[in-house]
Amino acid sequence: MSSPILEVRDLRKYYPVRGGLFGGKRGDVKAVESVSLDVEPGETLGLVGESGCGKSTLGRTVMRLEEPTSGAVRFEGRDVAHASKRELFELRRDLQMIFQDPYSSLNPRLTIGEIVREPLDIHRRGTHTERLERVEELLESVGLQVSWKDRYPHELSGGQRQRVGVARSLALGPKLIIADEPVSALDVSVQGQILNLMVRFQWELELSYIFISHDLSVVEYISDRVAIMYLGRIVEQGAKTAIFANPGHPYTRALMDAVPVAHPAQRREREPISGESPSAVNPPPGCAFHPRCPFAVDVCRELVPELEPTGGNDGHVVACHRQGEV
Amino acid sequence: MRIDPITRKRLRRFRRLKRGYYSFLILAGFTALSLFSNYIANRRAIVVSYQDSLYFPTFRFHDMATFGQQDEYGFDDVEADYTALQQTFRQDGGRNWVLMPLVPFDPYEPDFEYDHPPPNPPDRRHWFGTDSQGRDVFARLLYGFRISILFAVSLVVVGEVIGTIVGSMQGFLGGRFDIFSQRFIEIWSTLPFLYVVILLATFFKPSFLSLLAIMTLFEWIRMTYYMRTEIYREKTKEYCLAARSFGASRRRLIFRHLLPNCMTPLVTITPFAIVGAISVLTALDYLGYGLPAPTPSWGEMIDQAMDSSNRDKIWLSVAPFTAISVTLLLVTLIGEAIREAFDPKQYAHYT
Repeated sequence: MSSPILEVRDLRKYYPVRGGLFGGKRGDVKAVESVSLDVEPGETLGLVGESGCGKSTLGRTVMRLEEPTSGAVRFEGRDVAHASKRELFELRRDLQMIFQDPYSSLNPRLTIGEIVREPLDIHRRGTHTERLERVEELLESVGLQVSWKDRYPHELSGGQRQRVGVARSLALGPKLIIADEPVSALDVSVQGQILNLMVRFQWELELSYIFISHDLSVVEYISDRVAIMYLGRIVEQGAKTAIFANPGHPYTRALMDAVPVAHPAQRREREPISGESPSAVNPPPGCAFHPRCPFAVDVCRELVPELEPTGGNDGHVVACHRQGEV
Repeated sequence: MRIDPITRKRLRRFRRLKRGYYSFLILAGFTALSLFSNYIANRRAIVVSYQDSLYFPTFRFHDMATFGQQDEYGFDDVEADYTALQQTFRQDGGRNWVLMPLVPFDPYEPDFEYDHPPPNPPDRRHWFGTDSQGRDVFARLLYGFRISILFAVSLVVVGEVIGTIVGSMQGFLGGRFDIFSQRFIEIWSTLPFLYVVILLATFFKPSFLSLLAIMTLFEWIRMTYYMRTEIYREKTKEYCLAARSFGASRRRLIFRHLLPNCMTPLVTITPFAIVGAISVLTALDYLGYGLPAPTPSWGEMIDQAMDSSNRDKIWLSVAPFTAISVTLLLVTLIGEAIREAFDPKQYAHYT
């Protein structure tokens, strides 16, 4: 096995809850709690979880758009979490991001050409003419007409905007792209186009992706490996095939049950998760999922479960006290 | 300069709002005209042609001897009397001539040509009459307008620049800087502005600049509120995160991404801020704590009109009151139209 392109170790991101006249600290929102994961070169890691589980924060913290509270992030052996401004600037060439909202992720006052050119301008790639050529090349490669470079974002559809977002993220020739729900805001028919575009670039440019999504079917389509997040922690991680064939965590199973199916004959017995995701300020003791878990026993209410291998050598790990029992 | 399509659309919409647009044209016309007040109402001639040379007395001082005049008390260094000069030249019928402004009076010099003491009611000589010191009311109104507008615009511009800088810093830096500066602003804004200005004005005789400086101390605050929240909102939008994810510098973030998207409150508030500034300046002048006499100012004119001995001199009050109401109405109409044209809800995407 080659060495991973990205290693995340014990990453934490807490947001202080402040109040009072001078903003004294009242507590923490534990958005990301002790997360470790690896991304291999050329692979796609799908990161799944419901809204508010910290998956976007994890992506942003890995990018150092948010300062990590503690933990390590290494990209090709280079420390991202403690990189100086200058080192970080260089890391940005290899580490890019695609954003969720195709409406707010493009500055409404810049043209498409200017938006795609911006990373090249910031990193002073080549001469002005070379940058313009590169912009046209990028627009063409994501399936946009070159003549659209003088248009403004509001003249484009959601799918076209997201193509601009993809083109922009590719401008500097990155090695890893963190895609934060890149298709969630799009129509289903357009989702497929964007996903195919991303897969094509992965093949052509040997990219790695961290693909953040709450949509299991999308993740199943694009990922090689999958990590399931619940309330800031990864509760299950493993090869896509292993997880979809044999989900180990009750939460994963509940998520899979919730995926709608196309044909009534395929309908399964559903066990809907009751209740809401608990507050990240006061997470329940023990396993964070226990208040909603149909299998919870005493130990689940006291001890935080560790990620344990399911038995095979496929790297499939699950954080559940009752793993194998239920 | 390239105008981005959102701004272009807003400008087009502003043009379509007739009431505001025409108010804007009228006020802009008045303002442009008032910049040339010296050629509209002045004792000094615009051009004098004397013995085949041209003189431009609005730019240079010429004493009486230059044009062969003599002061009746025999003083040297007395400025030429161009109105009298015009009369003389006409009577001579020679090639010399004088081009006087439309209104041959300036806002300072009393007119002693009347039999009874000022104020004198409007007549052909003084269209709007003279005030209690015999000065031409029209000239004072005109120069007063120029001062009011210049003062209000400079006050608002300076205040908004400072307010934008402070507010942007609060929004951008956030954290401790924001908390402490916001507390400071809250305390500062509770100072009763008018009393502070009056208090200061009793110690220093204010000039145009010092009054501007004193009022700026309070004017900048309002803008910080808007800019602070605008920047707070915009900086969490994904286009800003995207720019940061390429390693955009702070300067780039602020000037290329944030500020252009935060200009709406600035533009929409400006007309109303100008209305406020004109009113406050007039109020201060009225109370006698504003610009020093004999500066022509609307507040001072109203003060004269309100004087008990001038109760029956109605022309003294009609002119400044009409001028103030019309000006404030025009600016308010402009402000209304701008607010409508810039309605952010038309472009915002709430997700």
